[in-house]
Amino acid sequence: MEEKKAPTKYALVTGGSRGIGSAVCVQLAKDTKYHILINYNSNEAAAQKTLKEVESVGGAGEIIQFDVVNAAEVISKLDAWHVEHKDAIIEVIVNNAGITKDGLFMWMKPEDWTNVINTSLNGFFNVTNHLIQKMLVNRYGRIINMVSVSGLKGTPGQTNYSAAKGAVIAATKALAQEVAKRNITVNAVAPGFIRTDMTGDLDEKELKKLIPANRFGEAEEVAHIVSFLASEKSSYITGEVININGGIYS
Amino acid sequence: MNKEVIVEKINYFLVDEFEVEEEEIAPQANLKETLELDSLDFVDLVVAIEANFGVKLVGEDFLKVITLQDFYDLIEKKIG
Repeated sequence: MEEKKAPTKYALVTGGSRGIGSAVCVQLAKDTKYHILINYNSNEAAAQKTLKEVESVGGAGEIIQFDVVNAAEVISKLDAWHVEHKDAIIEVIVNNAGITKDGLFMWMKPEDWTNVINTSLNGFFNVTNHLIQKMLVNRYGRIINMVSVSGLKGTPGQTNYSAAKGAVIAATKALAQEVAKRNITVNAVAPGFIRTDMTGDLDEKELKKLIPANRFGEAEEVAHIVSFLASEKSSYITGEVININGGIYS
Repeated sequence: MNKEVIVEKINYFLVDEFEVEEEEIAPQANLKETLELDSLDFVDLVVAIEANFGVKLVGEDFLKVITLQDFYDLIEKKIG
């Protein structure tokens, strides 16, 4: 009898082309045997660059375009990917895609509220909801949601972002309890100020005075905890929010 | 596909994949209790049905399913 081919295991990182997402892709490639599925929305060049970095550290991967906000697109693109990769299993989902549209609440436009909620919260739903059935059948999985210190303590000027991330934290805790029995863990990682494009406009010199560690964090520092949560080593940790913020809040 | 074939196929995978004792299978048997299913286990049933009959069940499909007979009827209806 022909031996059944072992499935190729993948880790999907949404918003994996830049910033923390890109660092997570590279770290997973360094630390694990997962093939990295790098999701991007618009910046294909950045996604290709991340893929090259993944390959340069000895990993393998591919890029996949979809907008996490668009449920129909998420489903059609992932279904098409599964048809092309019959022997593949997505064992790890890193819900990292997120945007900010900062501003005082009293001036906030409805679309700035909705767009931020749509990307972080509905993006988490669209991707995870579509993939979780396969994880349940497979009886193993790791779901890691990138949230923020804003979702825990709230950040003025980021009512929308704080609300979106706070909601994802609550969803993390609820889903963790639903699926724990099937060896699927669901955790959140809450970075503080990390040096990326997203924080590029911030006044680091002033803001670092507020941080006990007296500096912004690096994306790689966040990627290490994501890599641990994506591994088998973290099997008894679920429903948790891991702060990584230089002591600014915990 | 006639009803007899549907029932036979379902009974076969219940025994084969869900480790249900053959003597426990009866039309009036309670599906959830007979299979000792918790809510998450329904995902396995959905997958088994899709593999055997090519139809995809969703959560609402199970709302009125109490007995094995209800389950046979549901699949027959779904296959159309």
